[in-house]
Amino acid sequence: MKNAAQNRRKPRRAQTPSERNPLAARSGEAKTSQQPVLLIESEHALPLVHVGLVLRTGSLHDPRGLEGLTRMTARMLRMGTKKLTAAEVEERIDSLGAQLSVSCAPSYVQLSGAVVAHNLEPYFQLLCELIQAPAFRAADLARAKRETIAELVGMVDDDRSLAARHFRGFTLGKHPYGRPVAGNTQTVRGITRDLVRAHHEKHFVRNNLIVSMSGDVNLERAQQLVAAHVQLPEGRVPKVEAPPTTMAKGRRLLIVDKPERTQTQIIVGTLGTHVLDPDHTALQVANVVFGGLFTSRLTHEVRSVRGLSYGASSNLGHDRERELWTMWTFPAAKDAYKCLELQLRLYDDWIKNGIKPSELKRAKDFLVKSHAFEIDTAQKRLDQRVEAELFGLSKDYFDGFVERVQNVTRKEANAALQKRLSRRDLAIVVVATAKELRKELSTLPGLDEVKVVPFDKV
Amino acid sequence: MAHRKENKKQLVARCNRKVTNSSARLRVLAEFPFGESGEQVTRYALGNGLTILILVDRQAPVLSYHTWYRVGSKHEKPGKTGLAHLFEHLMFNETKHVPRGQLDRLIESAGGETNAATWVDWTHYQSELPASELPLIVRLEADRMQHLVLRKPQVESEKEVVANERRFRVEDDIEGEVSELIYATAFKRHPYRWPTIGWMQDIESFTPEDCAEFYKTYYAPNNATLVITGDVDEAETLQLIQRHYGKIPKARIPRFRAENEPPQRSERSLELQRPTPAAKLALAYRAPSFRDADYPALALASEVLFGGRSSRLFSRLVRDEELATDLHGSLAPFADAGLYEIWVSLRPGRDLPTVLKLIEQELKRVCTHGVSRAELQKVKNRMELGFLQGMETAAGKAEQIGFFEVVYGDAAALFDRLNALRAVEPADVQRVAQKYFDARKRTSIAVVPQRGAAA
Repeated sequence: MKNAAQNRRKPRRAQTPSERNPLAARSGEAKTSQQPVLLIESEHALPLVHVGLVLRTGSLHDPRGLEGLTRMTARMLRMGTKKLTAAEVEERIDSLGAQLSVSCAPSYVQLSGAVVAHNLEPYFQLLCELIQAPAFRAADLARAKRETIAELVGMVDDDRSLAARHFRGFTLGKHPYGRPVAGNTQTVRGITRDLVRAHHEKHFVRNNLIVSMSGDVNLERAQQLVAAHVQLPEGRVPKVEAPPTTMAKGRRLLIVDKPERTQTQIIVGTLGTHVLDPDHTALQVANVVFGGLFTSRLTHEVRSVRGLSYGASSNLGHDRERELWTMWTFPAAKDAYKCLELQLRLYDDWIKNGIKPSELKRAKDFLVKSHAFEIDTAQKRLDQRVEAELFGLSKDYFDGFVERVQNVTRKEANAALQKRLSRRDLAIVVVATAKELRKELSTLPGLDEVKVVPFDKV
Repeated sequence: MAHRKENKKQLVARCNRKVTNSSARLRVLAEFPFGESGEQVTRYALGNGLTILILVDRQAPVLSYHTWYRVGSKHEKPGKTGLAHLFEHLMFNETKHVPRGQLDRLIESAGGETNAATWVDWTHYQSELPASELPLIVRLEADRMQHLVLRKPQVESEKEVVANERRFRVEDDIEGEVSELIYATAFKRHPYRWPTIGWMQDIESFTPEDCAEFYKTYYAPNNATLVITGDVDEAETLQLIQRHYGKIPKARIPRFRAENEPPQRSERSLELQRPTPAAKLALAYRAPSFRDADYPALALASEVLFGGRSSRLFSRLVRDEELATDLHGSLAPFADAGLYEIWVSLRPGRDLPTVLKLIEQELKRVCTHGVSRAELQKVKNRMELGFLQGMETAAGKAEQIGFFEVVYGDAAALFDRLNALRAVEPADVQRVAQKYFDARKRTSIAVVPQRGAAA
């Protein structure tokens, strides 16, 4: 039922780190030599437990030319163990009243799911079996590769995903952050069983693992489960080979050419900050002013005043290395130039003239007062702590977020804008029908390069 | 301290002590347990017909404030489709007391977030705020129930936004387009035949007068239910509601009478060509209303077929036969009889007849051989997990309570429905499969790649 309830807009609570759970009695943490990090947030209101097994290994570890290897290794985990076939794994998960998702990001692989509390032990045991004893059968790998390729081809149906996929590659080029997490049809075909096995052996080691549990569980019980079922071999945590993030110079436009588009998908971006940069919080606050809220400048001008796009927002990404700042809109094809020209004007003005005192106050008010929603469930509190572990943040990083926001001055926010965001180096990706829009979009101010690629080349 | 052991009737008496306006006088209608949590939901009503459901939940210092209006796209008329949804957008605009844009600004500055949704049977406004901001949201919601200002420039601008939303969800989205078309094909008379977002030409034609008439007709306290969950003081909440909603007069709400849908006697089929690398298939069977006693068993039949990776059709179509990349089955949660929809996105190069045959085989297998007790227990476990996950936040609880109150007619039935799911037997699943999986009453849409778009 695709056309379910029509929302005025999607909730866009700012994706910002915030204070860690202050109720220390509810949370726990344990780590001994050669043991995985164990993070717990207890909340006994419902008979439900969320479980996560997170490896500090992601697509940044993919060898060049083998993009998609880490994701394929992760995908293979649920395709059978030495004792269970893929079908038996799925049957077991569903029978336990559980769910599981396996995901791969640039910096981590995550098995995350939830289970009714009385089945926690068999579920946790199964997750451990998946990461510790995957079968990696040749037939399963062949099937996983065919599935992945079919998904990559099918992804072109979704214009938004299409824009996002092209955007990272176009913006970051050959930097590991620019390479596709899922790979492409060519690199996926090149993945062999030996490569998957070797990748698993190297990365799935005890020291590389974070175990997290939240909900109807306590630290003692979790420790018992880890002691009983985590049997990954010891090993060194592989280093991340990610040089400082860079992007090509100039203002560049990429049109992803797809026929019959009545609407465009537009992403504009440039380099942002590293999460540990001293002005990262100041830039977060400035971003809330620009496109982090429904009343922010971008949404107000694009949607509320002109009705040009149903959605308009900006985001400051964060990861292990410096990530991207982006803004996203999706105007009708007839309005694409008008919308994009306006966005670029708003962007220039934001950086050149900075934010106003009243805007600063509103952004800080929102970030400070909405903090209650960053910690209103055990799972959210736990996610913050997992993130701190993954990205090498200090344990009190989230504790200090509210205070850091409160301390941001207008001068600091405007200085961060000037220092971190480039007015010159901007990548613009538009999914559109090129024959209708290329000529007009090529006249956007300050463009150094215009490129067109077909939508179905994956 | 004096109020600690006060029961609900005493609490209501206290709230009414200085109230002379009859439309602001409060009554307690019912109290019922919220599952096994030990929490209680209380239903109150004001003299003007406003229903209020409160669940005090001290898990976090937040509150969820939801307003459900019993008006959705089924209450519209042909030529005016999409009005309920457009109107929902306009409710964020301007009132006599709150200038344009201020509602969002006030809520955001308070650390809150607000949103809304419209569907066939209802329109739903929700705000999540720190618990201390209760007075703000009561004031704002009551204000826009009675003092909305509708000016031409705002209506025109919002029509553009909705047109863009339609392009996003329907015109440039194959699944969205097919879902819209399948309802338009399956229904001949019932207003479920038009999409909630409305036909594009209707969206473009709305005037401020259309919107004003809609507001006057449907936005009244006796057509609304408030659901408040979270860390609130019940007496303070009720007194604020009396103060801000108590003077709003009730309205005469038109009674909804859907035209009887003529029985479908043969399959209706369409084929579309679109720029996609792989074919798609949508099937829709006639389904019971959410209130129908068959609904739980049919929901479980759907889970057996499509729920999770061990389900029968995922196993066969995606894993074993490698015919599809994505598939799902969904049962419309509507107040009137809707559709049971099946959606399959094929792998590039796979053919539609093979996939259709296989789906039919699996549906027939449930009709002929039923399901095992173990398989049924598995899907019940999955549904119970989903139910628990929906209850993790104040917002999740408020949404469930409001949905059951408005669509089912009674919020207390929320846990009855869970018990009904638990009580379903294999024979029930087989019976409803036989009743509803009837290809003669099916609507199907096939999407085939345009020449040159295939991978």
